[in-house]
Amino acid sequence: MGKRLSVAVQGFHPSSFLSEETARLRELVQDKKVISAVSGGVDSTVATLVAREALGDKLLPIMIDTGFLRSGEPERVKERLAISPTSLKVRLVRASGRFLASVKEEKTAEEKRKKFRETFYQVLKEEAQKEGCEFILQGTIAPDWIETQGGIKTQHNILEQVGIDPVATYGFKIVEPLADLYKDQVRMLGRHLSLPSELSERQPFPGPGLLVRCIGNVTKEKMRVLKQATKIVETSLAPFNYEQYFAAVVENRFAKDPALKTLSEVAAEALGLPKSEVHVDVFEDRVTGVKGDQRCYGLLAGVKLSEESRETYGWLQDRLRQLQTGIVEKFSDITRVALLVQERRGGRHLSILVRAVSTRDFMTAAVSPVPWKILKDIGQQVLKEEDVSRVYYDITPKPPGTIEFE
Amino acid sequence: MTTIPVVYVKGQYNHLIVRNLKELGVESKLLPPSVSLEQLESMNPDALVMGGGPQNVRSPNQLTGELADAARLIRKVKLPMLCICVTHQLLATAFGGVTEAARKPEFGPVEISVIDEGRILEGLKPSFTAWESHNDEVLKVPEGFRVLAKSSNCAIEAMRHDNRPIFGVQFHPEVSHTLRGVDLFKNFLHVVEEHKRT
Repeated sequence: MGKRLSVAVQGFHPSSFLSEETARLRELVQDKKVISAVSGGVDSTVATLVAREALGDKLLPIMIDTGFLRSGEPERVKERLAISPTSLKVRLVRASGRFLASVKEEKTAEEKRKKFRETFYQVLKEEAQKEGCEFILQGTIAPDWIETQGGIKTQHNILEQVGIDPVATYGFKIVEPLADLYKDQVRMLGRHLSLPSELSERQPFPGPGLLVRCIGNVTKEKMRVLKQATKIVETSLAPFNYEQYFAAVVENRFAKDPALKTLSEVAAEALGLPKSEVHVDVFEDRVTGVKGDQRCYGLLAGVKLSEESRETYGWLQDRLRQLQTGIVEKFSDITRVALLVQERRGGRHLSILVRAVSTRDFMTAAVSPVPWKILKDIGQQVLKEEDVSRVYYDITPKPPGTIEFE
Repeated sequence: MTTIPVVYVKGQYNHLIVRNLKELGVESKLLPPSVSLEQLESMNPDALVMGGGPQNVRSPNQLTGELADAARLIRKVKLPMLCICVTHQLLATAFGGVTEAARKPEFGPVEISVIDEGRILEGLKPSFTAWESHNDEVLKVPEGFRVLAKSSNCAIEAMRHDNRPIFGVQFHPEVSHTLRGVDLFKNFLHVVEEHKRT
């Protein structure tokens, strides 16, 4: 990818972007107050710093605690942004109860995302009214509106681009200084604004947070298990410099569609293994994928190999790639394939999925070759939790998968 | 300055085409396919690139709004043109070729074998890895076009018009995982520069 980076510099100049954008913001906002919605992620932090250059103390940063953040995250972010050079005084708005209640009965990814978006803007509306603000500033970047407009998934921060008028619906205008940029350009801009690397290179975290990694319906128990697994996966994979890596949770309920009967055979053939060594389960809860520029809310196949083959094939990325394409080519309803790393007999009803990808701009993603030994190590730690009985490794690139699961 | 608008047919990677062109020093932005020929003319474009999209073009008489508009541009505009993914299929059907559901759809990395460089694939022989995302494929190129590349699943990965600088590719040169994609855009720019001089 080195060659691409050298040409990237030609197209995007942080200093000229900054002077154009700050001028535009001053013109647009005049002397009004602006609420900035921050999450601690690089997009909203950089958007806020760009706006502060333009607006100074007319900018009021707030962070909404949605309950779907990682353990201790709201406090950590508030503290981190308060110190130099960001020096932002962030006000925390606690709303986890409201968010949890709003998604409680929802099972499908899009409904969960839409309920989240609705609650998100209701909370912002109340805050804007309290502060007498006409404008809300967001760290929306190009993939957010592209995926929402293209019908791939509803990003929580997209309204105008899909025809919802924020002024009529919520009573405020939305400002998005980074809407034309991609993640790598935002990071470049962050470095230009002297952000320390822990912020400019921070691991991305989706707006709806762990909600979109809790596949299917949301329960307190699933969220608790997911938070624990998240900590284990993030700690284990942090040294590897993958652009994105995380855990997701799904219930062990399996689809019994007769059309999927030959699945184990197809998987064995793709791997060149005897049929007796391969067994495939298909989860009942669906996951988001993208095929031919179309959203594909499809099935997730979990492939189990005999223990001995697993030891060999776990290291062979090319064979795993063949396994994944072999299945997705033949079964149009399957979007994602994961390989069983470890299981515990007699364990309870949840599975944890480990995902790690390399990507420049989050538009396409290749599966990162996590060493099998590390995956097994993660498996062992996660399986100490008695509600989990299986740990899988997602072997699907984007496309046909997406980076997140919902 | 070279100006090359990108026709936005709601594909995820359309905006990445703009990014690629800007990085190569070209003036570019997204245009809706409903743009009138007069509006297009007033921008003084040197070429046109059309991206991919979620629609399908199997039956040319039942095209949705966006693709019907894009087909009109393909037929009327006389500039150098590069059509990617669904508009590659549209290019084929607009000139009398055939697009059908792919026997084996392709998602993610695919090895592309170059048959004929045809200017647009210059320097990419014998093969390169490109990323794809398609359920349909061109089964038959129109008269006056020739096939430039294939993969193990798909016999027509790239094509061009024999005399005019019109190109179609099934894969996505604009995504970062297609490492040689930037070479394809550079080749296209060479063709555009040449066309400007004549």
